[in-house]
Amino acid sequence: MSLTSLPSDRRVAYPRTVSGEPPHLRVVDADTYTDWEAVYRDNIERLYRLMYARVGNRPDAEDLTSEVFSTALGPLRLASSKGEVRSYLLTTAQTVLASHWRRTLGQPVTFIDPVSDINSLTEPSKIEEPSDAPQRAGKILAALPDRYRRILELRFLEACTIKEAAQVMNVSVSNAKVLQHRALRMAANAGLELEE
Amino acid sequence: MMTRRRLYSFIDALVAGRRPAHFKADPEDVEILRTAIELRAARPGDAHPNEQFVSDLLQSLVEQGDSEPVANVRPLRGHRARSVVFAVAASAVLIGGTFVGTESFTSSPATTAAIAVPHGDALRTGTFETPSGEVLGQVVAYNGHPSWIYMNVGDSQSTGKITCKLQLNNGSIVATGNIELNGGVGELSKSIHVDVQRLRGAQLFSSNGTVLASATFS
Repeated sequence: MSLTSLPSDRRVAYPRTVSGEPPHLRVVDADTYTDWEAVYRDNIERLYRLMYARVGNRPDAEDLTSEVFSTALGPLRLASSKGEVRSYLLTTAQTVLASHWRRTLGQPVTFIDPVSDINSLTEPSKIEEPSDAPQRAGKILAALPDRYRRILELRFLEACTIKEAAQVMNVSVSNAKVLQHRALRMAANAGLELEE
Repeated sequence: MMTRRRLYSFIDALVAGRRPAHFKADPEDVEILRTAIELRAARPGDAHPNEQFVSDLLQSLVEQGDSEPVANVRPLRGHRARSVVFAVAASAVLIGGTFVGTESFTSSPATTAAIAVPHGDALRTGTFETPSGEVLGQVVAYNGHPSWIYMNVGDSQSTGKITCKLQLNNGSIVATGNIELNGGVGELSKSIHVDVQRLRGAQLFSSNGTVLASATFS
């Protein structure tokens, strides 16, 4: 890229030259954070939402989000561009989440990919649901037979206990558990097919 | 059967919005767990942080930061009472020291020299897995100035020292070092003078030379 073709939001920094040496040009992004609090405020909500989508419960999402910030903000260099800072936060989040699963279940259940998930931190913050999670869940549920779809709707979307779900579906609690298990397994396959 | 009960308990906790209990999941349960999380996350309500959490965490970070000044950056290395800081690649950017060739490395106290944040292709990661496929820890290598390596290990079956060896793509061993396990966990971080892109992986050995786990860099 020639200097004349640089986008308007970037500038060229001219470091001091050492005697006899040509100056080194370094392109830096003008879009930087002024202080770490700005880093925090700009990313806390989006990072929490990302963690929540990966663990599915508020207590763990809060703890893991806290861990990402407490770990990442110390060594941050504010001269880095916003994009670099977000990339760094995501890389930290990736490791924090992997450690969480290793510690709690011994299996990597969900992941954060610093490349494909970068949009989670760069999209404008919105009050409404920011992700496609409801739409994707709707597609997964739509792919299931009625009874499988219903047990998962009752449990995960309507927050019914297994006993309440069993009553609504007029089955025993043990039957509801079996139904839920089979429905989740079929839903998992449906989710995998959506990704293909 | 026990695992199945714990799987149900995990799902019950998710549905109720509670923190699920830990258990050792079977690999075949992973897709079910992932789907349960995905469906739960689609329910409106908890997907946004509450204001109290956001302000409490900020306050906690400020208080911790005030007691630990770092360079010209207002520091933040504190955490909320419930969170535990462990095994994250980012912490390794605070580690000083040098490492060359086959010189041994050991854990060293941290210094507080902030360097540029890792990004792009600079990071390579690997997961330590036992021969039976159990995850034992992680290793992260950062290609920079300086380059560094960081690893954490959690093995309740082992005590004392274990040895780690770094391997290049051509099979040669370029580094060895020891990790002291305390309560079954340990970590090691060190600057290295090796082209990180040439690293193939790392292996962990018990004190009697048995291979505990291997990791291949992505």
